[in-house]
Amino acid sequence: MDYQTLEYLQELMRTTSQAGNSRSIIEKFLKILREQFVFDNVAVYIQDERSQTLEVVYARAIGRAKNAEADAAWGEMFAGQVVKIGKLLLQDPMPDAPPDDRLSQAYLLGLPLRSDEMVKGALIFVRFGGPIYENEHIAMASFVSSLLSILFERAAWRETNSELRELKRQMQLQEDFVSTISHELRTPLGFIKGYSTSLLRQDTNWDEETQKEFLTIIDEEADRLSLLIENVLESARLQSKTLPLRFQPLRLDSVLRDVIMRLRTRNKDLDVSMDLKPAPPIQGDGVRLAQVFENLFTNAIKYAPSAPIIVLLNHVGSNIIISFMDRGPGIPAESLPHIFDRFYRARNERTISGTGLGLYICKQIIGAHRGKIWAESTPGQGTTFFIELPINSSK
Amino acid sequence: MAKRILIVDDEPRYLRLLEANLRTEGYEVVTAQDGLQAVSVFSDQPIDLVLMDVMMPKLDGFGATQRIREFSGTPIIILTAKGDEQDRVRGLDLGADDYLIKPFSATELLARVRAVLRRAQPPSEVGQSRFFTHDNLKIDFARAEVWRGETAISLSATEYRLLLQFAHHVGKIMTSEELLTSVWGPEYRTDKEILWVSIARLRQKLEDDAHTPKHIVTRSGLGYLMPPIED
Repeated sequence: MDYQTLEYLQELMRTTSQAGNSRSIIEKFLKILREQFVFDNVAVYIQDERSQTLEVVYARAIGRAKNAEADAAWGEMFAGQVVKIGKLLLQDPMPDAPPDDRLSQAYLLGLPLRSDEMVKGALIFVRFGGPIYENEHIAMASFVSSLLSILFERAAWRETNSELRELKRQMQLQEDFVSTISHELRTPLGFIKGYSTSLLRQDTNWDEETQKEFLTIIDEEADRLSLLIENVLESARLQSKTLPLRFQPLRLDSVLRDVIMRLRTRNKDLDVSMDLKPAPPIQGDGVRLAQVFENLFTNAIKYAPSAPIIVLLNHVGSNIIISFMDRGPGIPAESLPHIFDRFYRARNERTISGTGLGLYICKQIIGAHRGKIWAESTPGQGTTFFIELPINSSK
Repeated sequence: MAKRILIVDDEPRYLRLLEANLRTEGYEVVTAQDGLQAVSVFSDQPIDLVLMDVMMPKLDGFGATQRIREFSGTPIIILTAKGDEQDRVRGLDLGADDYLIKPFSATELLARVRAVLRRAQPPSEVGQSRFFTHDNLKIDFARAEVWRGETAISLSATEYRLLLQFAHHVGKIMTSEELLTSVWGPEYRTDKEILWVSIARLRQKLEDDAHTPKHIVTRSGLGYLMPPIED
C-alpha cells in the first residue's frame, strides 16, 4: 500500500471517530470520497425499527441532477432490494429509457449498512449517463459503507446507553428510597422500643424526671412514625392519582396565616415576615395547599435553621404567585433540577433525616391545582420556592 | 475500676438511650457522633468497649471499626439499623466482636455488653499504640497517615493496606501469596506482577533509596519482610 492510500484511509478513519452528529460526518465522508470517485446523487436509507420501512436520513444531489429536484432517480425501490438481499447490488439504466435523456440513464450502486450482523439500511450512489462503476470504485464505496455502519451502530448504542442511564438512575432512586425508608421507619421504632424497655427494666429505678423525659421521647417518636407512614401512603396515592381533592373557594392569604400560626405553636422562635398583597379567592383544596405551605416552611426550618423566612403573595394576571425565601445554605446547582423527583435527596442532605417525598408531594398537589412549583437557589445565599396558582383552577 | 465504654451514634436520642442505661450499671460513658470523632476519642484514652452505629456522616461505623482494628483489639459491638445479613457479616469480618440490631431492648443491650466484656481478651498481639515507627517511617493508624521523617506521604488505599501487612508482622517473611490474598483478595493469589509493581511503588514513596530498601526487603525466592530494627 502506498503512502498516499494510507493517508487517505487514515483520514476516513479519523472522520469516523470524530464526535458530531452522523449527518455532518456523512457529509465529510462524501467529500473525501468524491476525491476518488464520481457520483451525481447519493442517499442513505435506514430501516425504521417500528414500521419496518426504509426512511431516507441523508440525500444529496451533487452532479448532473442538481436542479432536477425530486424528478431524478434516488434509488428508493433499489434500496429496498439491497436491504432485502443484504448484498452489494448494481443496477444499469432501464432498457426502455430514452438514450438522449441523461437523467433517465441512471447507474445505481447500492451497499447494505449493517449493525449487529443485521442489515439496517442502504447507501445508494447514482450516476447519470455512466460511466459504469469500476471495481476499484465499488471497493472504495464498500469501505465507506462499512464505516457508515460503524457510525450508525455507535449512534444506536449511544441512544441505548442514555436510555439505560436514565433507567439506572430511576432504579437507584428506588433503591435509595427503600434503604432510606427502612432506616427512617426503624429510627423512631428503635427509640420507642429502646426507651420503653428502659422504663420496663426491673433492675433499676429511674427518677421521675427521667421517666418523663423517656415518655416524651416515646410520644414524639410515635408521632414521627405515623407522619412518615402517612407520607409514604400519600405519595403512593398521589402517584396513582387516587387522592381525592375537595375544591372550594379559598383565600390563600388566610391559609398561609393559619399555617404560620400553627407552626409558631411548635417553633417558638420561628422568624417569618410576610407581605401578602390583596388577591381574589381561588378554587382549591385548603387542607392540601396548607400541607404544601407547611412542608416548605418545615424544609426551611430543617435545612436553614434559625434563618429568617420571607413570604410574598402577589396577584399577577390570572395567577397568584407565592414565594418562600430563606437565607439558608442553598441547594447545589446539580441537585436543583431533581429536588421535586420522587425519593430524590441531595448528597449533602444525607445527615438530615427525610424521605425524599415532601417536595414530590408538594409538586403533585400543586399540579392537581393546575399550578406550578419551582425553586431558585444560590449556594451560600439561600433558596426561594415559587408557587404559581391559577385563580380558577377547576377549569 | 469502672469500665469505660465509647458509644458512637449520630442520633442524639440513641446516645442518650445508651448512656442512661449504661450508667445505671456503673459504666463510665464517653460519646462520639461520627466515625472520625470516634477514632479520635478512642485514641485519646483507654476504652474497654465500643458501641458503634453504622450509618454515620464523615466516616461510617465500618470504616471506624476498620481504623480502630489497625491498632487495637478492644471489643466493638456494631449497632446496625440495617438488619440484613450482609451488613452483620461485614461488621464481623472487619473485626467487630458482636452486633446488635436496632430496634433492641435495653435489657438485651446490657446483656450483650456484659457478655462481650466477659469474653474480652487482654490486649492481643496487635499493638494498642496508635503510632508505629520503623526507623524514619511513622504510621498514625487512627488517621491512616504515613510519614517519612517529617514528610507526610500520600498512599493509595491498596498501598496503605499493603504497608499495614508489613507493619503488623515486623520480622516475619510474608510470601507473595499471603500478601496478595490479604490485600487484593484470594482471586489475586497468583497475580505476582501486581504485587511487584505495588511494592516498587511503595518503595519509591517510603524509602530514602528505593534500590537499597530498609523498610520492605526482598528475600529472594521466599517473599518480603519488614526487618526488625536493631537497637
